[in-house]
Amino acid sequence: MVRFVLFRLLQSLIALAILSVVVFVLARATGDPLHMILPMNASAEDYANARAYLGLDRPYLQQYLSFVGRAVTGDFGTSIRARRPVSELLRERLPNSLRLATFAMGVSLAIAFPLGVMAAVHKGTGVDRAAQIVAVLGQSLPTFWVAIVLVEFVAGRLQWLPAGGADSLASYVLPGFTLGWFVVAGMMRLLRSGMLEVLDSEYVKLARLKGVAERKVVWVHALKNALIPVVTFAGIYFAILVTTAIVVETVFAWPGLGRLAYDGITSRDFPVIQAVVLVTAILVAGVNLCVDCVYALIDPRIRYAR
Amino acid sequence: MTKTNRTILLSLLVLAGMASPAWAQAAKSELTVALSSFSAETVDPALQGHNVKYYLSLMFDYLVGTTPEGQPSQAGGLASKWESSADHKRWTFHLRRGVKFHDGTEMTSEDVKFSLQRAMGKRSTTGYAGPLRTLIADIETPAPDRVVIVTKEPTLIIPTYLSRSLSTEGIVLPKKYIETNGDDVFARKPVGTGPYKFVEQVVGSHIKMTAVDNHWRIGVPKYKNVTFRLVPEETTRIALLRRGEVDVADVSRERVKELEKEGFPIHMRKEEAIIHAWWILGPDGRTPPTNDKRVREALNLAIDRGEIAQSIFGGYAEPAAIPMGLTWAFKDVGFKVTPDMMYAYDPARAKKLLADAGLAGGFSLDVYAFQLPGFPEGKAFAEAIAGYWEKIGVKSKLIPVDYPAFRKMWVDRKAPGAVGYYNIANRDWIGAYALLEKQGYTPSKLNDTVNDPEVDGMLAQVMRQTDREKINALMRNVYTRLRSEHHGLPIVFVHSPYAASKTLGKWNPGSVMYDLFLDELARK
Amino acid sequence: MSVVAVPEIEAAPTARRQRLPVVSLGIVAIFVLVALLAPLLAPADPYDQSLRLRFRPPVWEERGSWAYPLGTDRLGRDLLSRIIYGARVSLAAGVVTVLISSAFGAAVGLVAGYYGGRTDAALMRVTDATLSFPVILLALILAVTVGPSFTNVVIAIAVILWARYARVIRGQVLTLMTLDFIAQARIAGAGAWRIITRHLLPNTLNTLVVLITLQIGYVIIVEASLSFLGAGIPPPTPAWGSMIAEGRDFVTSAWWVSFFPGLAILLVVLAFNLLGDWLRDTLDPKLRQL
Repeated sequence: MVRFVLFRLLQSLIALAILSVVVFVLARATGDPLHMILPMNASAEDYANARAYLGLDRPYLQQYLSFVGRAVTGDFGTSIRARRPVSELLRERLPNSLRLATFAMGVSLAIAFPLGVMAAVHKGTGVDRAAQIVAVLGQSLPTFWVAIVLVEFVAGRLQWLPAGGADSLASYVLPGFTLGWFVVAGMMRLLRSGMLEVLDSEYVKLARLKGVAERKVVWVHALKNALIPVVTFAGIYFAILVTTAIVVETVFAWPGLGRLAYDGITSRDFPVIQAVVLVTAILVAGVNLCVDCVYALIDPRIRYAR
Repeated sequence: MTKTNRTILLSLLVLAGMASPAWAQAAKSELTVALSSFSAETVDPALQGHNVKYYLSLMFDYLVGTTPEGQPSQAGGLASKWESSADHKRWTFHLRRGVKFHDGTEMTSEDVKFSLQRAMGKRSTTGYAGPLRTLIADIETPAPDRVVIVTKEPTLIIPTYLSRSLSTEGIVLPKKYIETNGDDVFARKPVGTGPYKFVEQVVGSHIKMTAVDNHWRIGVPKYKNVTFRLVPEETTRIALLRRGEVDVADVSRERVKELEKEGFPIHMRKEEAIIHAWWILGPDGRTPPTNDKRVREALNLAIDRGEIAQSIFGGYAEPAAIPMGLTWAFKDVGFKVTPDMMYAYDPARAKKLLADAGLAGGFSLDVYAFQLPGFPEGKAFAEAIAGYWEKIGVKSKLIPVDYPAFRKMWVDRKAPGAVGYYNIANRDWIGAYALLEKQGYTPSKLNDTVNDPEVDGMLAQVMRQTDREKINALMRNVYTRLRSEHHGLPIVFVHSPYAASKTLGKWNPGSVMYDLFLDELARK
Repeated sequence: MSVVAVPEIEAAPTARRQRLPVVSLGIVAIFVLVALLAPLLAPADPYDQSLRLRFRPPVWEERGSWAYPLGTDRLGRDLLSRIIYGARVSLAAGVVTVLISSAFGAAVGLVAGYYGGRTDAALMRVTDATLSFPVILLALILAVTVGPSFTNVVIAIAVILWARYARVIRGQVLTLMTLDFIAQARIAGAGAWRIITRHLLPNTLNTLVVLITLQIGYVIIVEASLSFLGAGIPPPTPAWGSMIAEGRDFVTSAWWVSFFPGLAILLVVLAFNLLGDWLRDTLDPKLRQL
């Protein structure tokens, strides 16, 4: 088992290394950040000066090595636009993204659980159908549209909740709901199919024969077993929530990682682009690794099918 | 509880209830401004200072102040008066005494000299660092309250270039603080002489500042704290305004009527900018077909400026007639825009002109479509003019980009003949001259959009002139020629709306782009 | 999304005989027809702009007219025509992207599962690296580098989406490889190509069909988000996503500009999702994926 983990870790690191090259190239392909920071009447000499000052005139290989060398120590360079260390910007923004993702996760689970259990228990009936539709609805509307409608009506007109920013707990509700609703469908499906499997199993049949109350069968025995895949996938969902929150962050003016990436890309800020993509990749890779390890624990076939 | 006690308690509660409105009003010591864009977001004026004066003007003071209408003023800057020598090569500025930086040190001429040199230094990316570098020979500090700027050529532009109306070179910074702590610390914890002290900045989110006890210009500031919030989505900004979480928000012109109906005061900054489009030059100047004057005129005649002003800009715009012409400058130099100078909407005549130029079958034109800060209608605007051109047989291809990508095409001259646009800030004659020098002067190479030797000649003369009459005459001729040669596509002058909360009170936001004169709002 | 799906594939899975999802199928069929017959159905030219007629309401409101039954947008273009032509663009984007990514992803999954060992490890690491790259960021980078376009949207999404298929298919193939009939085929002398195409691929088709159906809706939604950020299918091309994005500032004043394209997306994506769910229940009930 330990060998498996170590091996996967090594492979993940290799994947990250490949990714670092890809993101380095992509970032520089976006264009020239100097067009944004130099004024309109800058001369060719001004451009040369700025390039030298920012270290952008070094050969690409040197720039790449310097980038990777420092990234390993957590130093992602200086933002060309903000002229501040990128790690500082990350420190300001990453916790916000994590917090929002956690809240959204909570919302998503709170909705998916009852839906999934109900759908499984009343399989094939109208309740099952209705639950499925409600869950899928969250995936059938563009996130920004849901967000804007909520801001306009719930925050602006009815004024029940804050419209933007990350100041109070109340300000988590609308963006958290918008973000969370999107993944409800997946969670609910997992829960439902997991429950269906368990409810059909020998174990449950035995419990029923033994006279255990139906409610206990469902909520205690079945749910416990159905939760395993959900819990493992929850980690993946969390990573998705962190990395795809850019739309929600834009609408709700939430100072998170997604918006940092957007600002970085639009101002061709290489260090920021590189840093955000790498951090996101590390997060997702880390979660994937954990999930694979858990599954390897459960199902030995995967461990050896290399 | 005895009856008396109950009565007392009740009365106290009633009084408390009545008193709370007053208490709530006194607690209104926070000013929050929501903006759709912070542009560069740096708090060091030497870095990308050209378009973030919203918050810089609260934390720092300029050498030369301006009125909200952009005219130099002796009341608003650290220089209480200034004069030039007879040959206009020595400019003396008399500084106020007793002005303190936020770290307690006193502002002297040494700080002015240091700030100006820093703004012209290698690290600076301000708007006019280049021209100032070429112009300024030396900076003398004969006394703690006097600065003399010595220029290589006689010139009139120094006070305006160091004023609040253009860029940030005129901002005075603390020499000792920066030299002791370094640029990096200053960029994180800036110190100035303005009415508000920097508190914190979260890049991409907000900037907070808090009032000083007493400021030489506005006295005791009315608001204890000022916060700038970056809220890119308009619906959210308006929702924040409705909820009372922000006091000032920039809104798009299309939503003004909706907000007015609900009773939100809208402060309209009149003629804040001109929406001006142009054809990108090739490496050696204009390329066919836009090198033919008739084609340029035709493309101008095909656009219904009135309709654009009414529809895309919600009626908050006026048709413009002079390429790169700015109305404040017109006033300064005595240039009158006569009715015959306004472009009529005449697609028939446009088609005829194209036929005369041998293009009866039309031709292809690339139109870049992008959004700009302060110009959210950018893409719709590009689509609209492309639509007008389609109607006269010009196949307009919309190329969606973002502004940096367009700027690259413009500067690299890789897309000759393609159409781009910008919302150019309205300015006085010196600012207008600075614009022409950037965009209408062939030796400016990268940014030139005109390539006309006659215009070049006139602009070169303005540079060397110190006689206002002669300068005015030259500028008038420049504008006349720009119009007669159709050296651009002047579309409309726009008014920019800022919505305020109902309790904000009186406020004149002025019309200087990128500066909201919030310090005037904070004046008791 | 990372999926470690290990379905137990029995020789003949007990088919869950459910009612055919008539409504979902019907909706999908209608929209496909609309897309195909767009020139015949649309009352006006979707590109014809007329600023004077901007933001006109639908016909049942006061200033409406049958000339533009669902109203006009910001530049005076007929909304109904744009929605009809938009069906072409949005559905094409969804279908093309999904077909490309599934083809490539399935290929990778099959090869990785079949060969196992180092090939599998290498391919899976590339797959992992791909999966960890956020789709929206890649699309943004592409849009900013070469400009937004239909092609770039398809490329940006497909370049990442294939990895999901690869993972799922590979998991299935791993299990299939342990079954007898594969070993028998090997003994009979079948080569890699034959085994992959004749024995493995057909057994993964069920899963592929389910995934494809479910992903079409996802792609349409992602395109809408990309339009919101300025990296989607650019104007003046009518695409539902960009139409909603264009109308988002007028939620209360000109609600129809975003509402009707939004309704179209909702119906189509809902239909595809429900259809996909039904297909999964029928064809491959043990498939655990997101």
